[in-house]
Amino acid sequence: MGRSDAALPEVCQAIVREIPAGWQFAEFCRAEIELNGAVYREPGWNPSPWVQSADIIVNDVKVGAVRVYYTHEMPASDMGPFLKEEARLVNSIASRLSHFLVYRQVRAKADSVQSALRDLQDEGKSEWRVVLDLLRQTDDDLFGRVAHKMLIHLSWKGIDEAQNLMRGAQFGSSGREALLIEEPNRPHRDSKYVLPGETNEETFQIAARHLSSDEILICIQKWIQEDKLSFVTQVVNRHLTLPAVVDALSRHNQLGPGQATLQSPVKRGVEVALIRRFFSDQLEFINIAKNFITLEDFYPLVQNIIYGANSHGKLGGKGAGLFLARQILRKYGANDPLLAELKIPRTWWIASDVILEFMHYNDLDDIIEQKYKEISLVRQEYPHIVQAFKRSRFPPDILKGLSVALDDFGDCPLIVRSSSLLEDRVGAAFSGKYKSLFLANQGTKADRLEALTDAIAEVYASVFGPDPIEYRTERGLIDFGEEMGIMIQQVVGTRMGPYFMPLVAGVAFSRNEFRWSPRIRREDGLLRLVPGLGTRAVDRLSDDYPVLIAPGHPGLRANATVEEILRYSPRKIDLINLEKNTFETVEIASLLHDHGDDYPQLRLLVSVVRDGQLLQPRGFDTDIMKGETVVTFAGLVADTPFVKRIRNILAVLEDNLKTPVDMEFASDGKDFYLLQCRAQSYSPEFRPASIPKNIPRDRIVFSANRFVSNGHAKDITHIVYVDPSRYVEVAEHSTLLAVGRAIGKLNKLLPKRQFILIGPGRWGSRGDIKLGVNVTYSDINNTAALIEVARKRGNYVPDLSFGTHFFQDLVESRIHYLPLYPDDDTIIFNEQLLAHSPSILGRVLPEFAELSETVRLIDVPQVTDGMHLQLLMNGDLGEALAILAHPSPTSTASLAAGPEGASPVQDHWHWRFEMAQRIAEYIDAGQLGVVGLYLIGSTKNGTAGASSDIDLLVHFRGDETQQCRLKLWLDGWSLCLDEMNYHRTGHRRGGLLDVLVITDDDIANQTGLAAKIDAVTDAARPLRLGRSAH
Amino acid sequence: MADKSYNPYAMAQAQFDKAAEALNLDQASRDLLRQPLREYQFSIPVHLDDGTVKIFRGFRVQHNDARGPGKGGLRFHPQETIDTVRALAMWMTWKCAVVDIPLGGSKGGVICDPHSLTPREEQQICRGWVRQMARNVGHDLDVPAPDVMTNAQHMLWMLDEFEAIHGHKSPGFITGKPVGMGGSLGRAEATGYGVVYTLREALKNMGKPNSETKASVQGFGNVAQHAIRLYTELGGRVVCVSSWSQKENTSYSYRKDSGIGLDELLKITDRFGEIDQTAAKNLGYEILPGGAWLEQDVDILIPAAMENQINAENVARIAKRVIVIAEGANGPTTPEADQVIKERNIFVIPDFLANAGGVTCSYFEQVQSNMNYYWEKKEVLDRLDQKMTSAFHAVNELAAKKKLFMRDAAYFIAINRVAQACKDRGWT
Repeated sequence: MGRSDAALPEVCQAIVREIPAGWQFAEFCRAEIELNGAVYREPGWNPSPWVQSADIIVNDVKVGAVRVYYTHEMPASDMGPFLKEEARLVNSIASRLSHFLVYRQVRAKADSVQSALRDLQDEGKSEWRVVLDLLRQTDDDLFGRVAHKMLIHLSWKGIDEAQNLMRGAQFGSSGREALLIEEPNRPHRDSKYVLPGETNEETFQIAARHLSSDEILICIQKWIQEDKLSFVTQVVNRHLTLPAVVDALSRHNQLGPGQATLQSPVKRGVEVALIRRFFSDQLEFINIAKNFITLEDFYPLVQNIIYGANSHGKLGGKGAGLFLARQILRKYGANDPLLAELKIPRTWWIASDVILEFMHYNDLDDIIEQKYKEISLVRQEYPHIVQAFKRSRFPPDILKGLSVALDDFGDCPLIVRSSSLLEDRVGAAFSGKYKSLFLANQGTKADRLEALTDAIAEVYASVFGPDPIEYRTERGLIDFGEEMGIMIQQVVGTRMGPYFMPLVAGVAFSRNEFRWSPRIRREDGLLRLVPGLGTRAVDRLSDDYPVLIAPGHPGLRANATVEEILRYSPRKIDLINLEKNTFETVEIASLLHDHGDDYPQLRLLVSVVRDGQLLQPRGFDTDIMKGETVVTFAGLVADTPFVKRIRNILAVLEDNLKTPVDMEFASDGKDFYLLQCRAQSYSPEFRPASIPKNIPRDRIVFSANRFVSNGHAKDITHIVYVDPSRYVEVAEHSTLLAVGRAIGKLNKLLPKRQFILIGPGRWGSRGDIKLGVNVTYSDINNTAALIEVARKRGNYVPDLSFGTHFFQDLVESRIHYLPLYPDDDTIIFNEQLLAHSPSILGRVLPEFAELSETVRLIDVPQVTDGMHLQLLMNGDLGEALAILAHPSPTSTASLAAGPEGASPVQDHWHWRFEMAQRIAEYIDAGQLGVVGLYLIGSTKNGTAGASSDIDLLVHFRGDETQQCRLKLWLDGWSLCLDEMNYHRTGHRRGGLLDVLVITDDDIANQTGLAAKIDAVTDAARPLRLGRSAH
Repeated sequence: MADKSYNPYAMAQAQFDKAAEALNLDQASRDLLRQPLREYQFSIPVHLDDGTVKIFRGFRVQHNDARGPGKGGLRFHPQETIDTVRALAMWMTWKCAVVDIPLGGSKGGVICDPHSLTPREEQQICRGWVRQMARNVGHDLDVPAPDVMTNAQHMLWMLDEFEAIHGHKSPGFITGKPVGMGGSLGRAEATGYGVVYTLREALKNMGKPNSETKASVQGFGNVAQHAIRLYTELGGRVVCVSSWSQKENTSYSYRKDSGIGLDELLKITDRFGEIDQTAAKNLGYEILPGGAWLEQDVDILIPAAMENQINAENVARIAKRVIVIAEGANGPTTPEADQVIKERNIFVIPDFLANAGGVTCSYFEQVQSNMNYYWEKKEVLDRLDQKMTSAFHAVNELAAKKKLFMRDAAYFIAINRVAQACKDRGWT
């Protein structure tokens, strides 16, 4: 039927020939088509009682039938000898045949109009007249609709005759228009228009008098074209099912060329309706999308959508974002070859409501209510839900769709990505909450299909996982009817030995939040690049590093020296093992050792380390594998337009989507693929903070307006301020060294991420340590923010380090960086508070008492009546502010939730505190030799998060047996609490208590944490012992 | 206010003054040696990639060249100061003198931050530096080398510019070049082997056979690895080594009483000298806290990681058995700890002498470049052995004769040699 020009008998005969192959017992199967009186059969046909039949209907009239016979009796099945699927098949053949016939009719009509036009041109007659005559003869309804449009057209042009005619047609001759004006609030009745045949004639006579022939002809042609769209419009607007929409689109597509260039409100209307239908009903999205997505773009798309018979679903947020980005880039590709070559991987989509169908089909409907359960229950039940989903079967039509998709993909590795409606609604913030799964997709078709359905079921189940539910509850999104679209994408890459992966992949942000040089602007963007699958670039791993590049300034490297580059280069690679059918992480060194020669374009990825130098392999450098190599992407940056392409993509997308964007991408060495695109996402602590105005001056500790990035650090209890003027006065080298050591000690002692370090010049200086405090990363790794102060010296302001001494550690560990320029008149620097509040360093670290004015340790609540410091940074505004504010319990909890972004629905610390009190209450102090119990750390400070432990100090005065029994007793608690915490939060530590036993001696000598007891700051909190203490 | 602050140059001068006093140097020698012979400060204009021009400030300080052409690194540092460069140039004079190589002391640099420069811009800085200094440096005048934030690449750019200006090849102008481009073999081994050459001589003097000694090493980087290799080849037994864990931001000590196997450990060590803890456990190593290396019951301690590692806090934990500390790292011992070590009569091979293998190899590179003939690695290492051995004995003899602490003896002998050269030339 694809051959629209073939003769009808030929087509029917071919269908009859092909049908038996689709039936269970093909050799005994014969088909017959009866059409407009003619009958088409294959040899060997005999009438028999075992028959299936479906009518062929054109314009609501039965014109024939398709029949399938078994020549002999066959074993009984669903419907006589036939399968259910076979019944469906015969129906669909008949229906396809019906469409085909309709199409031929319309096509014939269009052809005759065209040929009439050609004739006219030859003969020089009034063209539109001929067209109209023809139309009237062939399709009177269409003629009527065109005439009506002409009447309206004329009326709008202000032609009185037409207006009169229209009035007469609509309201008879009663002249009701007065009513319209007088009773604006009342609906007018019988306003249904009547347009009798003679009016049509009259309309065109008026048109002939007032319009040029050309104008009339153009109008008529346009309306005929638009009319072809009308059934699509109807289907889309009437909220029919997805199959109906897809069917209408396919039919329209088959109507042939001519409309691709058509621009009209009708077409625009259909496009917007389709965008709303398939992608999103968010106005912002539609507003942009309608400029880039045309009707024609939907034809190929709908071919790859899998849906159920009654589906009304969408493609979901991720799918919509990717599709739109692709369209935008295509359009711009016309002028930019770098964009033109961009691809997206072959993709199949599952409509978002298939998840509901799937659950319904398996009697799992009640799981939807899971979201209203207690979070601990949700967590407890989640593994069972995953199992239930994985054991469930997919409805047959979905299964069939997946099977077709798999045939289309072949056995290339796949990724099953979630694309939920909420991702669309709340944007990036929700991303990453649902699963994406890689499939090696190897083995027999049955195996592959099973693996695919298994993965989809697992992604479906993740809707009911505790993390998304917790997040939704917290954001008031729990009542939203979440549906989950699925994208099944081919994994970009090439095979290497048993492995499959992209040459390079990563994530790119159009705004750079981690500038390592003052020459880099925010709009220069940020690229996180890794070899292999991009998973390692997306996640922050803290023990492995992606290569960072600012696309606007690729020459400025985050790591400049060879040592830095070696230290902060990727060491592992994520890939798919095709032989084991698994997703794996392997050491790059061992991968290159075994398969380096097969790695496509390896020279673009690695540099060779030789004699303290990094060399880019060139030409016949066959020794790459022999020497030591490091992944630098130096070749990719220098010798290919890779970075420029990313820069152009980011610019075009940000410009058109009207928001900073981030995208995931991969390249197989030949082509560049876009994998995902969305509004730029920020982890919670790196979102742009809102900068409050009208804060009283005395509540501001400092402000900044240069090189500010986004983020916030709340509830800071301690400031460590290395006073620049005093530091510069230090005369002894050993004293400067001692400052670094004091910082290192404070870093271990102060509550984690609740203190900030402010110091002169360059943190991490080596050698010339007068220029900045001599610390290593491990001396500062618990700070919430690292702040460098550039004070004027003479007439110049020294350069700051921008954290470059451990830049990438800061990035991966999410430590904020901010430079301060106190001598700048436009900012505030509260020297009174920083330099003149009492410093408690001497009391906390007596061995450094002499330094207490140089290294000023300020207990913020103590000097501010219980207030905490909040550091608010907004890179979009270029402003940062550190203010004093009273701690809010919610903000404490949300910060404490930690990098996983796990939610603070319950009060983590409060529960821990209660449990610690319970321990104190139940402990048999006398029996176990316990004198006192103290709480320190995050539970004491009220900052404990979901994964925090409970730090207990046990003052012990007993013998070894007692100590053993005490340990056993506490171990039991530790394990039980850990299990409870797991059910509450999903975090398991292997023990929730961190117990430190201290003796009288420890307390007397103030050794280690014993110093916390009765300490001047951050003192341990005593717990009341319940049973007989000493 | 400013004069009160810590100034490395003032500190180097004060240190020199003390030594000069002890050596009873004449006033002219003191005046000559407590400051540089020559200083160059100049501007380097560079056209940045964005079209703007930025002026960078460059330095070269030639402290003393009485014993031969100057030698010293070139630093790229955003907060470089002339005083830092002066102090480091002076230090280079003493360093070359203590191993008795015929070179003087220099240092140089440019105020810049490579994190804010593209490679092309860095190249322009290198070439600009040479254009300013071409007439005052060279194999027979002053020989630059890589230092903070500069590497072989920078040296090659500079060499290329230098040769273009002078119109002839001159590989001896600069050191730190890659092998095959005028570099020397044996550089990786030089420092670690140098430590052990001096250690071997120290043990010989004490009449202690290597095979009867045990050592504990801090760090497992380049210096430590080569030191362990040579010491083990000489019959010694390393029982403990400490290594940094990047992930945990702390270090661990790995102990095996029967002696660690260097090659088996290297197989489970990454390029940063970080040992895989689990794999080490499987190989039968005991995992101890990072500081444990210092407390082992051994004869020899080799700190080969970072500065200030033996300090007032942990010096008391050094085992009674320890007889030698060979300083592979720069400044591993704080002055307070030094005092305790002195009192306990532990023999110290000071960093200054023990890790001079590096600068010696650099000298060898220059010699080979001047001949345009390059030695096999064995020849480089054999010559290094000779140099280090005789340097050690000179210092040791002086220490014994004058009853000096080794650290002081090394310093005195260096200053004395330079002062003598100045005198011989009739300068003072």
